[in-house]
Amino acid sequence: MFSFLTVFALAIVVLFAGLFGLRKHLFWILATGLTAAFAVGIGEWIGYDPAVEGPKVLAGMLSFDYYALSFGAVALGAMWLIALMSGFSFRHLNKSLGDHYGLMLFSLCGAFCLFSYESLLMLFLGVEILSIPLYVLAGSQRRSLASNEAALKYYLMGSFATGILLFGIALLFGSTNSLDLQGMHTYLAGSLERPGLFYTGLLLVFMGMSFKVAAVPFHFWSPDVYEGSPTLVTTYMSTIVKMAAFAAFFRLASTFGIAAEHWAPIVAGLSALTILVGNGTAVYQSRFKRLLAYSSISHTGYLLLGLLAGTPGAGGAMFLYLLSYVTATIGAFAVFQLATGDSGKEEISVFNGLAKRNPWLAFSMAVSVLSMAGIPPLAGFFGKYFLFAGALAHWPWLVVVALLGSAVGIYYYLRLIAAMYFTPADDDAHEIDVPWAYAVVALVCTVLALALGVAPGYVMGLV
Amino acid sequence: MELLLIPFAAALLAIFVRGDGARYLALGATLTNLGVTLWRLVGFQTDGSFNHETNLPWIPELGASFHLGFDGISMLLVLLTNILAPIIVLTTWKRDFGQAGRFYGLFLLMQGALVGVFSALDGLLFYVFWELALIPIYFICAIWGGDDKNRITLKFFIYTFFGSLFMLASLIYMQQKAGSFDLNALYAVELAPSEALWVLLGFFLAFAIKMPIFPFHTWQPDTYTVAPTGGTMLLSGIMLKMGLYGAMRWMVPMAPEAFVGQSTWMMILAVIGIVYASIIAVRQSDLKRMIAYSSIAHVGLIAAGVFAFNREGLQGGLVQMLNHGINVVGLFFVCDLLEHRLGTRDLAKMGGVAKTAPRMAVLFMVVMLGTVAVPLTNGFVGEFLLLNAVWQANAALAAVAGLTIIFCAVYMLRAYQLTMFGPTGPRTENVADVDLVETLPLALLVALILVLGVYPQPVLDLTAGSVERLIQAAGL
Repeated sequence: MFSFLTVFALAIVVLFAGLFGLRKHLFWILATGLTAAFAVGIGEWIGYDPAVEGPKVLAGMLSFDYYALSFGAVALGAMWLIALMSGFSFRHLNKSLGDHYGLMLFSLCGAFCLFSYESLLMLFLGVEILSIPLYVLAGSQRRSLASNEAALKYYLMGSFATGILLFGIALLFGSTNSLDLQGMHTYLAGSLERPGLFYTGLLLVFMGMSFKVAAVPFHFWSPDVYEGSPTLVTTYMSTIVKMAAFAAFFRLASTFGIAAEHWAPIVAGLSALTILVGNGTAVYQSRFKRLLAYSSISHTGYLLLGLLAGTPGAGGAMFLYLLSYVTATIGAFAVFQLATGDSGKEEISVFNGLAKRNPWLAFSMAVSVLSMAGIPPLAGFFGKYFLFAGALAHWPWLVVVALLGSAVGIYYYLRLIAAMYFTPADDDAHEIDVPWAYAVVALVCTVLALALGVAPGYVMGLV
Repeated sequence: MELLLIPFAAALLAIFVRGDGARYLALGATLTNLGVTLWRLVGFQTDGSFNHETNLPWIPELGASFHLGFDGISMLLVLLTNILAPIIVLTTWKRDFGQAGRFYGLFLLMQGALVGVFSALDGLLFYVFWELALIPIYFICAIWGGDDKNRITLKFFIYTFFGSLFMLASLIYMQQKAGSFDLNALYAVELAPSEALWVLLGFFLAFAIKMPIFPFHTWQPDTYTVAPTGGTMLLSGIMLKMGLYGAMRWMVPMAPEAFVGQSTWMMILAVIGIVYASIIAVRQSDLKRMIAYSSIAHVGLIAAGVFAFNREGLQGGLVQMLNHGINVVGLFFVCDLLEHRLGTRDLAKMGGVAKTAPRMAVLFMVVMLGTVAVPLTNGFVGEFLLLNAVWQANAALAAVAGLTIIFCAVYMLRAYQLTMFGPTGPRTENVADVDLVETLPLALLVALILVLGVYPQPVLDLTAGSVERLIQAAGL
């Protein structure tokens, strides 16, 4: 809880520091604050005693258990890496830098709500706190038409989604007379005769969440928004936001696990569609951000498998997968930002011949991409492994679809590798100067992708 | 364990070595590894038990451990890998790879992964090494490959990766039944017939694509042709044995219940591949492509013997894996020598090389005869056992499979005649004979061909106990 409060306080401090012209020191304030929040979070994790009823705050609406604390720590780590990249990405921002940082941190507060909510009200609030700053951030390049389009699209679609979510929550409240997850659980365990209202509410809540995680057919906003937003915002959206949405979705799914026979077939169908459409469409993309958007949709499909597992280890599997996905995505976006530089080019061809120009950068990108593709022994492979293995007992056909999807995925991931290693560079291409911050990001992401592959078990035990 | 560490450590070092040092590093590392392998043979238990086991905890949640061990079968294939590795380094000695460190780094990484595949006694570890072996060879082919390399290597990667995913599904399924990835625990699982069939098919797809057998072979000729010769040697000499080895060690004993019912059509596919590839090989004008197709034919026969899954079939298959590795590396080396001297691989533009390069002609002849399986060369022993095994399983199939010897003689002699004999053309008037660096690997291969042809008994002794135990484990 205290790391959550630290982030909130930091957001306000950064906002005001930006206002009072402390632009030069902003990064260091942010870095110090994030480190402090991270350290506090680790402390809370160590001090947490699962035997004692966990520290619930706000009348039991938030609960900081191992699950919430672990996801919180990963989100802070990811924010740290994004902050490192901001020095380069936001170099053209002057007065508004503090606003950007502030908005990201406020959004991060929403993510914390989603990791730890115990009440559906907090779920709704978390989704809103997470999203509203992002609507602004998506449109932060005011002169770019694509950025404006992204913001509007994201805002409209996001509003619909939260509307549907809220409607679903209302119906659930109407039928169960409770907003607590605990209350829902008691209700589900107690009554076998449930009104149709309950199922309608459940369906709407799941639909709302599917919007947020960009599951097909609720995914149409995501490629345009990913492409139009400034790259660093896209990085934030495709990592922390996705992780928060899935962490929340998983909490929800495990609460309603008893009634799984009513929603699991729907989620399985969504998962299969998402995997097929995501991978199938990614194959045809020529622009990097769109490619990663569709690849991210396909990852949503795999992650949905985790909701279906219904086994005690499923939370750990989700955690491992999200961790590997987040590190790989940040690593890939970092290299992309350097490769595209000021040119504004978004085609995959910006990577042409990178292996000759910057071998270590290319290596880091290759590891990230191969990890996303799920090639052993990298982190992504074990993420996929545990998700697929968990779902195999009840959903064998879905696992086959997921395997086929992964095989298709190899195609477009290897295109990135082929561009870096086997295609000669364009004439005007030159060696890229790598700022130290980016070197750190690339190093951390590469090391994590390799290390998680060696000892995935430890990570899964954290949640 | 050392057999893995040496190549991996050397691979890591090679990245940092600039210039020609990488060549010496690679040669030193592969020779050291060969030395250690030979040393491991001293006092080797050939009764089918596992020697030099390493068992470290890895992912206890899954019952996966870092478990390596060598029985006769593993040892034979590790021996094959580690004998061929220094020879392949020698054959690439004069080739310019731009950055030699990168080539030999990938090469050594591949060697380590192959040793891992052949010695893993844990399902997940096997899978990890299996995929790890794919990555370096993909880079080798795609960086140093010929025309249209991007498309062809992509096809190769996706094809083989697609197959392995289904093997992974089978492995996961077995693990959930057994609660562990340990080889013996997986062997012990009793499957219902329908389950066993799916498990079997998952493995079969992966191994059939890797070998490759008809009709899963379409990636192979293109990839062999486009890859740099060092890579082709790795692919054909060692990597395709991964599929055959996997079928022996993992597929059949894992689901013997289903295998009995399916082995006939598997053998039929293998035999179709023999005839089909042989006919295409006879018609090839590109020497490298011809060898690629001949490789499909030879592997088809080995696969047929393995699918027969009797004593002769497994023994013959193992002997022939070793022999095929030696012969095909020899053939590709000669092809590479000719290509660099003549600037073409087109058989129609060659001829008369024997006049100016007699040493090359003699060495090539022995390799060629070994491939045709003439008595007293190594190929004869293996093919005899294999045909015997197929005969026991199905006489009609054996008759068709036996055609391989005739076909092989046709296309190999044709190739030999078109390259070495006949009138010299403008390209072949001044062909330099093989020099010392080139003679050395070729002479070593020729020596192996003759020694194994005259006295194959040590190889048979090495594997006999393990084959016996494997047949028992499968309960066939």
